[in-house]
Amino acid sequence: MKNLKVLPLAIIGTVIGAVISVILIVTRTLPMQASEQAANIDYLYIFFLAFSGIIFGIVTLFLLVGVYRFRARPNDQREGKNVHGNTGLEILWTAIPFVIVVACVIGGWYVLAKDDVYAAGEKSGQKIHIIGYQFGWKFDYMNEEIALKEEAELVVPVGQPIAFELTSNDVMHAFWVPDWRFQMSTLPTQTNYASVTPSKIGTFDVVCAYLCGVGHTGMNSAVEGSIIPQVRVVSQADFDKWVAERKAALAQEAEQADQTTTAEAA
Amino acid sequence: MTTALKPNLARCIWTSALFAVLAMLVAAAVRQILGMDPVVQWSTLVVVAYIFGAVGFIVGIGGFDYWWPWIIGKDIDPHDHSQHGAYSWRDYFKFNTDHKVIGIQYIVFTFIMFLIGGMFAMIFRAELANPGYQVLSDEQYNALISQHGVIMIFVFLVPVFAGIGNYVIPLMLGAPDMAFPRVNAVSFWLLPIASFTLLSSFAFGSFDTGWTGYPTLSEQSPFGGTLFQIGVIIAGSSSIATAVNFLVTIVTMRAPGMTLFRMPLLVWANLATSALVVAATPFVAGAMFMAMFDREMGTNFFTIAGGGSAIAYQHIFWFYSHPAVYIMVLPGFGIISEVIATHSRKPVFGYRAVAFSSAGIAVLGFSVWAHHMFASGMASWLRVPIMISTLLIAIPTGIKIFSWLGTVWDGVVRLTTANLFALGFIIAFTIGGLSGVMLAVVPFDVSITNSYFIVAHFHYVLFGGSILTIFAGFYHWFPKVTGRMYNERLGRLHFWIVFIALNVTFFPMHYQGLMGMPRRVADYAPEFGWSNTLISVASFALGASTLIFVYNMIHSARHGKPAGANPWGGLTLEWLLSSPPPVFNFPVTPRVIGGPYRFGEEGARHAIIPEPEPAETEKVGA
Repeated sequence: MKNLKVLPLAIIGTVIGAVISVILIVTRTLPMQASEQAANIDYLYIFFLAFSGIIFGIVTLFLLVGVYRFRARPNDQREGKNVHGNTGLEILWTAIPFVIVVACVIGGWYVLAKDDVYAAGEKSGQKIHIIGYQFGWKFDYMNEEIALKEEAELVVPVGQPIAFELTSNDVMHAFWVPDWRFQMSTLPTQTNYASVTPSKIGTFDVVCAYLCGVGHTGMNSAVEGSIIPQVRVVSQADFDKWVAERKAALAQEAEQADQTTTAEAA
Repeated sequence: MTTALKPNLARCIWTSALFAVLAMLVAAAVRQILGMDPVVQWSTLVVVAYIFGAVGFIVGIGGFDYWWPWIIGKDIDPHDHSQHGAYSWRDYFKFNTDHKVIGIQYIVFTFIMFLIGGMFAMIFRAELANPGYQVLSDEQYNALISQHGVIMIFVFLVPVFAGIGNYVIPLMLGAPDMAFPRVNAVSFWLLPIASFTLLSSFAFGSFDTGWTGYPTLSEQSPFGGTLFQIGVIIAGSSSIATAVNFLVTIVTMRAPGMTLFRMPLLVWANLATSALVVAATPFVAGAMFMAMFDREMGTNFFTIAGGGSAIAYQHIFWFYSHPAVYIMVLPGFGIISEVIATHSRKPVFGYRAVAFSSAGIAVLGFSVWAHHMFASGMASWLRVPIMISTLLIAIPTGIKIFSWLGTVWDGVVRLTTANLFALGFIIAFTIGGLSGVMLAVVPFDVSITNSYFIVAHFHYVLFGGSILTIFAGFYHWFPKVTGRMYNERLGRLHFWIVFIALNVTFFPMHYQGLMGMPRRVADYAPEFGWSNTLISVASFALGASTLIFVYNMIHSARHGKPAGANPWGGLTLEWLLSSPPPVFNFPVTPRVIGGPYRFGEEGARHAIIPEPEPAETEKVGA
């Protein structure tokens, strides 16, 4: 059989591809896994790298070996073999991508269904309204009735689903926390819903991922000179303490505002 | 007639000005009559001036010189070929109905736009070379990235394939010209207008929305934003007219004997692409009109105050702009099939599968638009169906890649520059395709969308894909177009610089995106400093390599070795003609007697041109 000549090469290609996959997987650089959703998404990525390396290895090996083995010599007048196709081979290379596609659908769908915890967050966790504006974020703690002013930091408790509602005051922004593998757009003409379960205590960069005007570059807490605060994930106890402090501060502000109005009225 | 009255570029100047001024006067008069305040509202007047100035330009270049007498019922000569064919270099600057002249006009003009778009990229790569701000302000940066995208997509990648198709496809079909030669010429002359409109937006505060122009940001743009919308509408009109022309030409003007499965694969690819263009482009025009009406006429399709929907724009926009990706790469697939088969002396492996996969991509291409919007807050039920249809596109694409490998196998591979670009394309496009599969999967996409991973992906598809195929096509048909050979050594040098520099430029972007660097930013976290320096240096090499190409093309067109009719030993019809082909192509209608890639078959031919004896001609005609 003619294909048998090809088979050893396919095996070598797979092996080389597997080595490429392993190198890609070992040297993969990803941000910290700071949410419960992050791990699953990273597994998907590792799966992608696994088959991508193998396919790339096979394609490249066949191309290079093919070009070398069948290269034309100087003044070569020979013609190639008059082969128009091979049904078996064509079915095979339709079937292999199909299997990969099915695996991707299953993996993607599973992770999507598992991580779609918005309902859980709405029931049990904090509900926070994120308002994008040019150029920053405002946060409205809907359970606690705390509305934070501009340039405030987002503080959330660790280990419970956070249900976000996202809107914008002006143009489209996208609230992205790479360490959470979490991104959702904020649109001025509708409310978007998304949720995430932070799993690590610490501070994490907040990035505006969608071009929103001249201040877009600065709407990224990782950029030097940015006024956007990082998101802060704290323990439940610290969170409760923070909520109490914020409430007290807000009450005081309201009182001061009252006094000012009274003073002005007088 | 004096020069100012003949159809030419000089007449364009005063006809455009005349139409523009008249339109402005009418608009001002209407405002006066309706009692609108102020009567002289500049933004309105400039909009009508641009739109009617465009019509004036087409009038000036001679677009209506034949049609107008016909419309008003005067006698016209249906065999008037006075505007056909190039007899001196001046004819390339005129309204010309010869598809070969139009093809060259397209290719040269769009390539100049490619150089301009590339120059914009060089400027903002200089800005990105180090953290902090170097040479640009945020406003300038946003304007440049937006122009880079729009110029590259609407007046380079989409129309350059129309240019290659224009030159090659009527020849491949054995046709004397395109079906509608005058429509064809008008389609081309719309492009300089579109480019002028887009580039002149710099004079009106530019537009800073990226090439996508999403509302409600687009409502905030300076007046240049409106010019962006008008420019895209004009380029889109050009594209639709050309596509109709291709469809009719391919369907009705094939030489006798050319059955569907004897068509070269470039023709198949163009057929699929043209169907896509005709069906999809009206959507982007619609989106642009609505967004422009919101800006200039106070409508409320997408506005906040009027209760519009910003996400509706995204749906309509991507309903074109995703198929647009296939519009920008399917004809390239066709070129690759031609180049690899001819230069590897072997029939395309699995011809029918390759042909059908083009059609499959075109059909599936309409069901995947929303994968650009996974993180935009669209209806959540839509995510899984769109993920599945997007992933399915990997199958026909995979078939093509494997079929090209099968074509190389057992061939006699000549490593000409054209073939090097085609083979390099396979590797680069495989990378772009694999990252495309990753991005189709919703949870992964949502975690990194709008980052540099996306920038890496679509540059692998559009540079590693489309642009490498364009260069392959340029080198492959250069001897046919000019009658001379290009310099192989310079060609190979060009290939290797492009191939290495493109990988060094775009591959590290995957890592930047994964690590959290968003796209469309003038500054970034310090950790991305060294990788951005590397990318900028490589991108300058990429830009510089184009100079080698330009030198090679210009020098070889004048001083290259004579190529003869068929330097590559190709079998398709264009190689049966002299180089360059005669003004009216085939002296006698050719007859197709077999498939287009019968390499390795003793004495096999795809087509024959019968001896131009009167009796023989009649027989073929009958």
